[in-house]
Amino acid sequence: MENRKIRIGFYALTSCYGCQLQFAMMDEILQLIDKAKIECWYMLNRNSSEEREVDIAFIEGSVSTKEEVELVKKIREKAKIVVAVGSCAVHGGVQSWGKEKELEQLWKTVYGDGKVKFEPKMAEPVEKFIKVDYKLYGCPPEKRDFLYALGTFLVGSWPEDIDYPVCVECRLRGNSCILIEKGEPCLGPVTVAGCDARCPAYSVACIGCRGAVGYDVAWFDSLAREFKKKGFTKEEILDRMRIFNAHNPKLEEMVNKIFEEGE
Amino acid sequence: MRYVKLPQENVYEFLERLKNFGKLYAPVKISEKFYDFREIDDVRKIEFHYNRTIMPPKKFFFLPRETMFKFSISKAEYEEVVENVEPFVIFGLHACDIFGLKIMDTIYLDEFPDKYYKIRREKGIIIGISCMPDEYCFCNLRETDFADDGFDLFLHELPDGWLVRVGTPTGHRIVDKNIKLFEEVTTQDICNFRDFEKKRHQSFRYHEDWGNLRYLLELEMEHPMWDEQSELCLGCGNCNLTCPTCRCYDVQDIPNLDGDTGVRIRRWDSCQLRSHGLVAGGHNFRPTKKSRFMNRYLCKNAYNEKLGISYCVGCGRCTYFCPAGISFVRNLRTILGFEEKSCPPEVSEEIPKRGFAYASNIRGEGI
Repeated sequence: MENRKIRIGFYALTSCYGCQLQFAMMDEILQLIDKAKIECWYMLNRNSSEEREVDIAFIEGSVSTKEEVELVKKIREKAKIVVAVGSCAVHGGVQSWGKEKELEQLWKTVYGDGKVKFEPKMAEPVEKFIKVDYKLYGCPPEKRDFLYALGTFLVGSWPEDIDYPVCVECRLRGNSCILIEKGEPCLGPVTVAGCDARCPAYSVACIGCRGAVGYDVAWFDSLAREFKKKGFTKEEILDRMRIFNAHNPKLEEMVNKIFEEGE
Repeated sequence: MRYVKLPQENVYEFLERLKNFGKLYAPVKISEKFYDFREIDDVRKIEFHYNRTIMPPKKFFFLPRETMFKFSISKAEYEEVVENVEPFVIFGLHACDIFGLKIMDTIYLDEFPDKYYKIRREKGIIIGISCMPDEYCFCNLRETDFADDGFDLFLHELPDGWLVRVGTPTGHRIVDKNIKLFEEVTTQDICNFRDFEKKRHQSFRYHEDWGNLRYLLELEMEHPMWDEQSELCLGCGNCNLTCPTCRCYDVQDIPNLDGDTGVRIRRWDSCQLRSHGLVAGGHNFRPTKKSRFMNRYLCKNAYNEKLGISYCVGCGRCTYFCPAGISFVRNLRTILGFEEKSCPPEVSEEIPKRGFAYASNIRGEGI
């Protein structure tokens, strides 16, 4: 890769475009001019095309239309590395919260009788349709994580995934523990770190926007047991945990288990 | 040892003057219930009767996060980043935390000195204060409730001031430079000191012998406590991160966007996290939550051979700051047989193989 520039693509599915805005606004992006060629990133370059081959494809947004299913498949074919960016792409995003409801009902609530050109479907994470090589968590993701991943790819290595919870960074930062102290339903113990425990630093309980830690170490059951002790109902717990984890296959089973235990 | 008395009316003046020896840190209230060591501007905010700080004082020497070196791949070079540390004063350490630092020293100074730790340790002035135990304290069982050394000054509370033990030449210098603030220790002060110590000793919740604990832990690898309690665990790492003697760290290389240079950073690690036991090739020495849970109990109750004490100093943080309400002390007392009787054991036809090496459900299959 000595003389060749790395080809980068940034693609958007159904989302608020906050992820790419976050990265497009970074001063550091200028350092990339020497090293990388942006093949597709509409926010930065009007001369973009989704048809070109790239080395690294960044995808934001959840797959929410039939067209987007085709688009992610095309991106996968044309990219060497696919990176899912942000809560929507990684975990399906808040738009997956209403997963239990019928598509038609959701559609009517949002659009009424309005007509659109695309064919809608339930919001789902990118990984449901194609292989994802790396994930940048968060709503929006941290610039630091983006720079780390890009920097690591540029030296020909592979970035580490974050496999530990927000609590770790919350302690490292010197915060108090609001889960213990205030009894609020803080999702820090099950949520992927990387945000430097920003919300708990302002005494706001973690809502889990970075999604649950992977590798089966998000202990929804143990945390639900704690919340139950604090007086929360099963519905309240599930509702909160689902905001950013609607597609997590273990969530419901693990929370239900706690409420079947009885006291 | 030299002893002087700091009368109560001179305490704030003394604290103010400590700032002449470096930036002053001391325990303050950081939220409704919790305390932490913070930089002190107004000395009247210092808490003399705090129970325990959420962050242990190791944070001043072994930083939660720090840059170790810069590297360049093309030049195949690295350059260590060792900060120029200014002298600083930490006021208000309890005896258990001083022992915590002594344990850290055996790891980070004695054999292969860690230069990042060493430079801070050389610049840090340590001033201890006496305390009354709460229901979470068990430093008496760890024999870490009275510090013989490891401090520059140690203040023992008296009804009308503080009896000060001077531990180092730096301690002497602090006293000598402020000699007008101090008085001679009287017979009455000695009586008061003795009374305080007696009351302190009586205030501990447990008075029992834990001498055989480390062996019982090894023998009781299959005790039902491990399953029950690890099931409650959130795997959040709070116990390790608030521990005054946990010393594991994780390193990560952060390349810059130039495709060549970067930095290596380290941050505190926790053995409750998945990747702590993960090695190249994908094998994990502690693949289950239970095995990680047990690891901490074994590590903390191992001997520090240099000091002849366990790695746990009995500060109570891992219980006090556990969001799942898991009691380290209660679990250890269960193993010791003080909480409930676990005997007689079940009778089996086979001769049971006991101990960590044989516990396949802990170590994983095929080992």
